[in-house]
Amino acid sequence: MQPATPLPLSLIVTAAALLLPLLAFGVIMLATRSRHRLSAAISIGAAGLSLIAAVYLLVQHWQMQAPLVFQTVWLVSGQMAIPIGILLDPLSLLMLTVVATISFLVQVYSLGYMAGDPGFGRYYGCMSLFAWAMLTLTVSSSLLQLYIFWELVGLASYLLIGFWFDKFSASEAGKKAFVMTRTGDVAFLLGLVLLWLQLGTLDIPVLTDPAAVAAALSPGMITLTALLIFGGIIGKSAQFPLLTWLPDAMEGPTPVSALLHSATMVAAGVYLFSRLFGYFSLSPTAMAVCLAIGTISMLLASSMAMVARDIKQVWAFSTISQLGFMLMGLGSGSLFAGVFHLTTHAGFKALLFLCAGVLIHRFHTNDMFEIGRLGGRRLKATVVCMIVGAAALSGLPPFSGFFSKEMILGQLLASGHPTAFLAALLGAFLTTYYAFRLIFILLFPLETDDAGHADGHGAHHGAWGERAMIAVLVCLAGVTVVLGFFEMSLHDFLARGLALDEAAPAHFTWLPMVAGTLAVAAVLQAWFEFGRKKARQIGWVERIPILADLFGQRWYLDRLYRYLLDTLVYRGVSRLFTANDRRVIDGALDGLGRSTIGLGRVVDWVHGGMIQYRLMIMVAAVILLILFIGWGG
Amino acid sequence: MIVPLNHILLLSGLLFSLGMFCTLARRNLIMMLLGIEIMLNAAAVAFVGASLHWQQMEGQAIVIFILAVAATEVSIGLAAILVVYRRTDSVDPAMEAALWEKGGRP
Repeated sequence: MQPATPLPLSLIVTAAALLLPLLAFGVIMLATRSRHRLSAAISIGAAGLSLIAAVYLLVQHWQMQAPLVFQTVWLVSGQMAIPIGILLDPLSLLMLTVVATISFLVQVYSLGYMAGDPGFGRYYGCMSLFAWAMLTLTVSSSLLQLYIFWELVGLASYLLIGFWFDKFSASEAGKKAFVMTRTGDVAFLLGLVLLWLQLGTLDIPVLTDPAAVAAALSPGMITLTALLIFGGIIGKSAQFPLLTWLPDAMEGPTPVSALLHSATMVAAGVYLFSRLFGYFSLSPTAMAVCLAIGTISMLLASSMAMVARDIKQVWAFSTISQLGFMLMGLGSGSLFAGVFHLTTHAGFKALLFLCAGVLIHRFHTNDMFEIGRLGGRRLKATVVCMIVGAAALSGLPPFSGFFSKEMILGQLLASGHPTAFLAALLGAFLTTYYAFRLIFILLFPLETDDAGHADGHGAHHGAWGERAMIAVLVCLAGVTVVLGFFEMSLHDFLARGLALDEAAPAHFTWLPMVAGTLAVAAVLQAWFEFGRKKARQIGWVERIPILADLFGQRWYLDRLYRYLLDTLVYRGVSRLFTANDRRVIDGALDGLGRSTIGLGRVVDWVHGGMIQYRLMIMVAAVILLILFIGWGG
Repeated sequence: MIVPLNHILLLSGLLFSLGMFCTLARRNLIMMLLGIEIMLNAAAVAFVGASLHWQQMEGQAIVIFILAVAATEVSIGLAAILVVYRRTDSVDPAMEAALWEKGGRP
């Protein structure tokens, strides 16, 4: 770690970008929560300034050669000094910009979506908290600081998923998300403690320096800590086997889902992996595990998405599978492939969710068949944006997803993982299939009942808010269209600052052809089953009852967890605690209560108001006192 | 001095005990007041005896104070008892206590 030449301006700008959302959160929660418009203005203002600051930093440091580290000691305890600081390198700058952009756009979008909600002020407060936690996470200079904000991100998403806490399923979903991600975080924390004990520092620049780590740790220890930290990533990024919280997290407001799925919560896991890429790549075992987990999650989630009817759940499953895809790219040894897909995915996944949000907002249902029946296709701008997003998700050229997916596929092949490559092709095929299944169901409903619905419903919402929503969609669609063409410049930017020793991403001339053909084939199949005139809109999965059941029940993962929870936690641990509670704690409290009542009875007799008893006691006391003095003195 | 101090103190103690018994045992506010008077006078007797024994005037001066206090106490005490009697139709201290317990203001 060489502290670069001090650049106070960058430090100030970064600090401003980080602290403004925190300030907004504090002000909203303490003072202006009940004043909706003011709260929204404060929050959006802070997010906007953060965005400007992030873009300024990105442009300023575009030619950056070495990472900038600003660090100061936060807390000293004996031998330990816990630093806190900011690490600016291409990776964190890119992520900072992505997070700031998405959170700003989502907050603008929420003006329309959340209009009239009684918790409007609280919503914007939580959004600011979320933005603050995620922004600070991206620029953390030590793993401990990263861990703190990692947990804050979890807290904020808990608050937002359970935003409509008066709905039982929503508060349950919030709890589920929190507990499941915490399960992974336990492993993460253990890994951190182990690393601390072995290495004495958790600074990211030290950890990603292969020479320093290899000198201090044995290969077994590296693998162990890497796997433990990877446990945290599994929880946060909803990978197998901790993936079931993400579909349930759809209970939150749709803009929250968009934020959660694209740039913040789940992206934090993949970001952590790329942050510690140098560390992970020292352990081939950890990389292999990462590749395997990514592959399994990708296939599982795509299969679940093929039978979902809930429009948001389709996108939720696709998030899991795309995150798996990123982990495959990272696990096969290419930092850039994973990070690039993370960036493009943030754009098109936010776009898809926000489009779904417009439809849900308009038609008050999550069921895609129902939305199609009510005339979802009448909302032209939204549907066009959604098709753009779906095409990017499917990897159709020339949208951004095409470039990043093709790069991961090429990387898988180049690094000698043919099985994973084939699995990835299959996953890409399934992804395209379910994305266009959704589109065709929306576009070509079997029966329509849309007379006057499309226009009648939206009228009572403010036109201004609706316009903000559409503007955000168009912005994101624009980003999705053009982002893919910046592949090479982004690669140069990352390679310059991170000193990547990987060559330009592997290109196989035949690969785009194959991937493109496959995607087109999947679109055609989806069209054949859902789009054409005589289609009965029943997918091939639904014709095989076993598969439909398996996929629809999410591979029975939820049932398994419920069973484990019932037997282990409720019947085992909880019963012991209940017995302890009843016998020991309740018993002690009851005893205390009873003895207080008894004492009260005695005192009650003395306090009867009968003056002569009092006098007697007084006389007795004086006599005793005299006796005491007479004998004792 | 013809009477020894011991005898005077014995008389004083006897009187004090009688007064105390009267105050503690009689269920009549007037008799309680009387008991208090007797106790005061017992103390006064002890003071006079001690003053004689040591040939000092302060003890007798104190007795004059005690008489004044006793007079005041009786006049205020009797007035208070009169008020209680008007309210409760009795001079029983237990009645007073019972009324307090019920939460009413006697």
